[in-house]
Parts: sequence; C-alpha cells; structure tokens
Amino acid sequence: MLSAILVKEWLKIRWAWLGLLALHLGMLGYLYLVVRHQFRVEHSEMIWYWAFELRRLLYEPIQYLPLISGVLIAATQFGPEMIGGRFRLSLHLPLRGDLLVWSWVAFGALMGAVLALLDAFALYWIIGRWFPREAAVSAVLTALPWLLGGWVGYFGATLALLEPAVARRLVYLGLSAAFLALLFQHRGYQEYDQVLPVLIAVALLFIPAVILPAHRCRHRG
Amino acid sequence: MTAAIRVEHLAHRYGRRFIYQDLSFAVPAGKVVALLGKNGVGKTTLIRLLMGFLRPSAGQCRVLGEPSHALSPATRARIGLLFEGHLAYDFMSIAQIERFYRPFYPRWRRELYYDLVDRLGLSYDHKVGNMSCGQRSQVVLGLIFAQNPDLMILDDYSMGLDAGYRRLFLDYLRHFFLDEGGKTLFVTSHVIQDMEALVDEVIFLQQGGAVKQLPLADFRRDFHCFSFHLDGHAMPRADAVIESVDPHGREPCLYTFAEPARLAAHLETHWPQVRLGDERRLTLEDAFVGLTGKY
Repeated sequence: MLSAILVKEWLKIRWAWLGLLALHLGMLGYLYLVVRHQFRVEHSEMIWYWAFELRRLLYEPIQYLPLISGVLIAATQFGPEMIGGRFRLSLHLPLRGDLLVWSWVAFGALMGAVLALLDAFALYWIIGRWFPREAAVSAVLTALPWLLGGWVGYFGATLALLEPAVARRLVYLGLSAAFLALLFQHRGYQEYDQVLPVLIAVALLFIPAVILPAHRCRHRG
Repeated sequence: MTAAIRVEHLAHRYGRRFIYQDLSFAVPAGKVVALLGKNGVGKTTLIRLLMGFLRPSAGQCRVLGEPSHALSPATRARIGLLFEGHLAYDFMSIAQIERFYRPFYPRWRRELYYDLVDRLGLSYDHKVGNMSCGQRSQVVLGLIFAQNPDLMILDDYSMGLDAGYRRLFLDYLRHFFLDEGGKTLFVTSHVIQDMEALVDEVIFLQQGGAVKQLPLADFRRDFHCFSFHLDGHAMPRADAVIESVDPHGREPCLYTFAEPARLAAHLETHWPQVRLGDERRLTLEDAFVGLTGKY
C-alpha cells in the first residue's frame, strides 16, 4: 500500500520536481560562476574582507530557492487532490487517514530535502573551492534558515491547500508567512546559530498539524 | 433483516436550513435499492453522510454495522463508492490507476477491471484525464468491480453519460450482481427509467426529509394516476389520500396509492367538485414525477 501511495505522489510531482532540480542545478551553476568571477576580478583579500568583515553573503542568489521549491512541491502534490473534491477518493481508501496524510507529507518533505541536501553540498563545495573549510561550513550554517524556509513553505502551503475552511486557511497562511519572515532577517553569516534549534523545534509542529485539515475534511459538519 | 445501511432519526442542516429532520430508512443486505428524489432534496448529502464525509447534526447512520463517521479501514475495503461525476485520479493512466488501487483491496479481481476497460480500445498508457465522461465512467466502474465490494454506493452514476454508456453500465451492474451474489447496491440517479430493470426497492426522498420506501413492484402496482374534470373552480389538493395533483398537463390528473373505489369515496366526501376520469398508464418516470411533483 505504501509503495502505491509513494508512486502516486511521484506521478503528481515528477515534472515539477525535475524542473526544480534543473532550476537548483542552474542556480548553483550560476553561483559557482559568480563566485569564480569575483575571484578573477578582485583580489582574494578583498573578497575575504567583503565576506567576513563587511558580512556580505556571496551566496544570496540561492536563498529563496528552498522556499520556492517547498511551495511548488506542495502545490503540485495537493492541488490535484483538492480540485473537484478528489481528496475524498483518498479518504475513502481503506487506510487510516492520519497515516495516509503523513505518508504524503513524508514523501513531499523528502523530495524537498533531496533538493535541500543538493544545495547544502553544492554550497559547501563551491565555497570550499576558494575559501578555507571553515568558511564552507559557515556558508552551510548560514544557509540553514533558508533550507528551513523550504520546510515551512511546504508545510504552510500543504496546510492551506488541505484545509476546507477559508478562515483557517488564512490563519495557516498568515502563520507560515510570519514564520518565513523570521527566517530571512539575516544581515551576515551564521546569525541564526543560537536560535536555529528553537526554530527547528517549532517547525516540527507542522508534522502533527497536517492531520487537522484532513480530519476536518473527513468529518465536516 | 440484516441492513447494509441503517439510518435512524437523521437530521442535517447547512447553516440554518435543515435538509432533513427525522429521516429513517434501511437498505436490506443483498438488495438493489434506488434513492430517488428531485434536485436539492439531499441525495448527495446523504451519500456524504453515509461515507463519513459529513457529520450529521443529529441521529445516526450505520453502514455494514459501523457508525458512518467512524468506518474502519476494513469496512471501507468492503464498500465500492462511485462519487458523483465519476471522480478519478486524472493524472494516472489506465494501467497506473489499477496498480494503485490493487494493494488496498485483498479481494481485488484484476480481470473484472480489464474486462471493462479493454472495451474502450485505448492503450493502457492513456491518461484518465484525457478521456470522455463515458470512458472515464468505465474506468471507475471497472475499479469498483475489481474491488469486489459487499456494498456498492453509486452516486448519480448516470451523470454525463449518453444512452449507450448508461446501458453498458447497467448491463455490467446486472451481470455483476447476478454472477457474484450477496452484494448490496445503493444507487442514486436522475434517469428514472433505468431503475425499472435494475432495482428491488425504491426510496423516494422529498423536500424536508419525508421518505417513502417500498418495493418497486409494489410501487408500480399500487400507484395510480387518474384524469379528472372539475365542476367549479376549486382545484383539489394533496391530502391523506391524494398524493399530488397536476393541473397543468394535457388534462388535469391526480396521483394516489388508493384503489379507485376508495378514491371515489374520498373525492365524494372531500372534493365533490371533482369528477374522476380514466386511469392513465404510467411509466416509472411518470410515476416518479407524479409522486414528487414537477416543480
């Protein structure tokens, strides 16, 4: 049953995900060229000064990629379920509703995580080409809130799409937008190091929360 | 009598508008029962209540012995459900959709699905979303048959289907029920004449939740239509004996479950201005309209 569900989810998102993969690879390639170009036109001491004294992030071009990816994965996964009330097809399956929804979001989150891991590894490698290892690690730590933004974007869009009540939908969107605004307040590198564990813990609350709209869809009064 | 579906004192409302206030009926196991009614009386709402997609305002619904709002996965595996409009996963192909549903149903019979969809003459890669309404209905029906359910609930199976596909649908339903045995079918449709060759019992659902349930054969035998003439202007109205009056047809007529003698006595007492004419033969659709009204 689980493999059937995962295949179905893949059928829904495959083209969007492959498009996102191409987008990520393209943006990472662009980032590589940008950083390489910087080192060709400037002295490396100047670039170090920009990065670590002026706290200018060389890898900002990719900061919104995880968020865009999360929202798009959620839209392609759950949009088809909500059009024409097709969600009822799944709710009638002989499977517990909470397990069904969790398997959906596990798949979607996993596909988002693959892209996030790609970003993290590529960022580490790109920065590591021209900076010491400590700077490459710093780049990944700096990017973690953006990757978390992908998680929040995915789950926020999922909650809004699954929720049958308009008012609650707006609440979910508002809360997600507020959370996302918190994640993109950086002014330099590693500014979220201390608060990130708390933000991650709060973001994990999305996991039980996705059951609520499904339950309300199932038992509307 | 074992009931596949039992509804007791059901009430449901949208906002302040009650759809039903005290609805009770039962669908006997092993029977084919049609739920008939005009647009807006709450047929699809009732299906949603039975399948647990809506929680009733009061009363209870039980399906295969379980409360409808808490059907276990094992019980849902025994219920084949056709959603209004033949809902299906449009992004899947003929083969993909069968492979998707197969693991969920232990009694899955693949041959029943392909027996039906092979008649489409389409490749198994053909997407459901690229099919006509009739073609999609065959795929959906094939999936329900392959599930080999104990109870089939078909919500407006005829929506969007031409006469050919409707006939195919009914032929397959009849064969499925005759061949398999022990199945229960609960069906809604606006195509009344289809019910004649299919159903054992009919449930007429009327505005406000009034319900009349009886074997189809009894309905056809006991429901009468008589033309009439008026001496005067006071048109008769529905009462304890007269189910409805249609003053606007070719000739005015009234509908009743009463025998002619009882009707005549009733008219003499309560509507002396009415002179009863000949009894008119009714198709099932005529009888349905006579019972539920045109407007």
